[in-house]
Amino acid sequence: MDLLNTNTRFLHDNIVQYADRLSATLPKKLCVFYFLNSGSEANDLALRLARQYTENQDIIVLDHAYHGHLTSLIDISPYKFRKLEGQKEWVHVAPLPDTYRGLYRQDHPDPAQAYADTVKDLIDEVHQKGRKIAALFVESLPSVAGQIIFPNGYLPKIAKYVRDAGGVFVADEIQTGFGRVGSHFWAFQLHGEDFCPDIVTMGKPIGNGHPLSCVVTTEEIAGAFTANRVEYFNTFGGNPVSCAIGLAVLDVIEKEDLRGNAVRVGSHLKKLLKQLQCKHPIIGDVRGVGFFLGLELVKDRVTLTPATEEAALLIKRMKEKHILLSTDGPWESVVKFKPPMCFSIEDAERLVEQIDLILTEFEEAAQQEEKKK
Amino acid sequence: MATEIFNKQKTIDLRKKHIGPSCKIFFGHDPIKIVRASGQYMYNEKNEQYLDCINNVAHVGHSHPEVVRAGAEQMKLLNTNSRFLHDNLVQYAQRLQATLPQKLSVCYFVNSGSEANDLALRLAWQHTGHKDIITLDHAYHGHVSSLIQISPYKFHQLPQPQNSEHVHVAPSPDIYRGKYREDHPDPATAYADEVKDIIGKAHAKGRKIAAFIAESLQSCGGQVIPPVGYFQKVAQHVRNAGGIFIVDEVQVGFGRVGTHFWAFQLQGEDFVPDIVTMGKPIGNGHPMSCVVTTKEVAESFMASGMEYFNTFGGNPVSCAIGLAVLDVIKKEDLQGNALRVGGYLTEQLEKLKERHPLIGDIRGCGLFIGVELVKDQIKRTPATAEAQDVIYRLKEQRILLSTDGPNRNVLKFKPPMCFTTEDSDLVVDKMDQILTDIEKALDLGLAASKDTQDMQSKRKGFLEDNGHELCPNGTSDLHHIPKSNKKQRTK
Repeated sequence: MDLLNTNTRFLHDNIVQYADRLSATLPKKLCVFYFLNSGSEANDLALRLARQYTENQDIIVLDHAYHGHLTSLIDISPYKFRKLEGQKEWVHVAPLPDTYRGLYRQDHPDPAQAYADTVKDLIDEVHQKGRKIAALFVESLPSVAGQIIFPNGYLPKIAKYVRDAGGVFVADEIQTGFGRVGSHFWAFQLHGEDFCPDIVTMGKPIGNGHPLSCVVTTEEIAGAFTANRVEYFNTFGGNPVSCAIGLAVLDVIEKEDLRGNAVRVGSHLKKLLKQLQCKHPIIGDVRGVGFFLGLELVKDRVTLTPATEEAALLIKRMKEKHILLSTDGPWESVVKFKPPMCFSIEDAERLVEQIDLILTEFEEAAQQEEKKK
Repeated sequence: MATEIFNKQKTIDLRKKHIGPSCKIFFGHDPIKIVRASGQYMYNEKNEQYLDCINNVAHVGHSHPEVVRAGAEQMKLLNTNSRFLHDNLVQYAQRLQATLPQKLSVCYFVNSGSEANDLALRLAWQHTGHKDIITLDHAYHGHVSSLIQISPYKFHQLPQPQNSEHVHVAPSPDIYRGKYREDHPDPATAYADEVKDIIGKAHAKGRKIAAFIAESLQSCGGQVIPPVGYFQKVAQHVRNAGGIFIVDEVQVGFGRVGTHFWAFQLQGEDFVPDIVTMGKPIGNGHPMSCVVTTKEVAESFMASGMEYFNTFGGNPVSCAIGLAVLDVIKKEDLQGNALRVGGYLTEQLEKLKERHPLIGDIRGCGLFIGVELVKDQIKRTPATAEAQDVIYRLKEQRILLSTDGPNRNVLKFKPPMCFTTEDSDLVVDKMDQILTDIEKALDLGLAASKDTQDMQSKRKGFLEDNGHELCPNGTSDLHHIPKSNKKQRTK
């Protein structure tokens, strides 16, 4: 900031260095970058890129998805549009592949294929209406939908179906990128070395809080976007300060081995939560990878009735103990963990200890109520 | 951070490899690498100084130490989202509101002008329950999907016409080049009547107006200053139709016009918009922006029951920076400076106009000035190539200026607000020489016109060799896009 903060119509080293460093974390074919200021801006640009490249209009999204607050993104965010303007005719919603609560559950022989087939069927329906798919937009790990982990094989299958239909695959890594899953830098990489989206959007953690975001795509898609000769200019996007910050974040992730920390502490935390699950019937499911975890609370492990009030009470009680947690999912019954990547084993143990105490208090209170009856 | 990591050619190569080719660069055949800036000056990798007449974003001057300090200190302390209470947010909202008419009291903080204008549209739609938007010709409100639809400056450039049903385009109130000019007895009413007609036609089709949106002073449209009274009359028509008035101050706010803090205030004390959007200069380059509206509009928005959450918007660092910018504007009397230096610069440019037939019009308020170049004073034929020539030659003299307007023939001045009379003298002096040279070349009949054509075709050839195309505002492309690229698919 002391030196320079201006726009990308001038050459500067920070932006090219940053793009270079980011490209090293991605599959080779994702090599053209656009820098912006928020996840919402990034997803909107991804929409524009997809439509320009494919010359189609329609978008497939997953149920309960959230891609941003701009007008165009509310239209593709069932999490939002169901409560606001409703579903547009060019938006198509596939069932959320939630193997705990969704259409096909853990007891299904092949939930990945079953859920992928719902996307295939949806594409067929779209074609029958004479419409064409521009893109499939997917959060690599749906967060607002309740910390969902896809069944193995699901993403590569649906990517194939959408590409066969002439569309592109957009991976929204805004919540999940930069090593949060531990084993990989990007959550989409959980699906194997051969799986590569056409467009990836990044935000939130990218600048540690600084308003920064990014879209990366292939040369072909970038070329098609440029072919109409209209300039893409983002006043603040890619400025030297944002890029310097982005570079510093990449440096710290590396220097402090934060991905390794996510693997170690994340798996320890998950183990502790699973132990809690054995003790507390209200914990219906524990799922996650690295520092992206979810604890789904249910009133009944058979009917899976969401324990919405209990979840709200749990986080309220945790706040009183000075521990900040939030809930999400369609019924606000999933307690979500996505802490700063420097979270420690001690933090994990304290956290689980307090959850244990509070859930025990809930159970004791419930028993008292039962006795009174 | 080191000022230079790569040599210039490597920077260019990496940029071609990794940065979206749609992101254009100034002077594509010979781009400028800027490594440092301070006040109204920018410095390239050889430490050569350029006078910056373009960057209204660096409102209080590039890398202003007070703004830097405020940002850095807050970054050390805390940078988180607005779901927690924090003083910076409320203090900043309060200070901003104090600069505006009282009824504009509710702030939403976001990160870019585009986000702000998109939110303004959402507010209008929710508040009125209507769908249609009236926008001005040659307007530019931002790059996100919803805003391209209301930005003729953008959608006119697209190969396929993209007229959206819900968007109505009114003639730009440009009294130099527009439908009603300076010789018209009452251009404000004439232009406002155009809006009235549009409303009438929309109603006849059973459509309803949600909002009229306009930049207080059109910048991309060519530094257009609407005649006084225009906004009031339009507001009346729009409000009678159940719509609201959105004023886009993203380019021009924060004292640029000199006489007032906000450019819409030029229209008169009796004009108060329903929504104001701010951006660009607000954080001196930091990604932030704001929407301010009335309690009524905010309450309508809330009534939908849906939360509005912007991850980065209103964070303590952005607010600290915004506050520092307001402090500097006040302490250094930058609004006063804009008035004085802007007035002086305009005066000097008027003197130039008397001697240069290429100058068709000088217009401006404070440090927002446009110089429109024409080949013929009566026909007002846009001198597009000449305007490009001027900015290229100014760049060689290390002065940065850009062009805009639908015919790319308006030289636009919107420098950092610390611009001085000495800077003005320098620019005007160089422009004088350059215009003289260009006019001489044009005036010398066939021989000269051949020379000019030679020069122009040389430039064109040079550009094409390097795969460049000139874009509306003088930027160009580093990339050569082979036509075959367009239809390739990844299967």
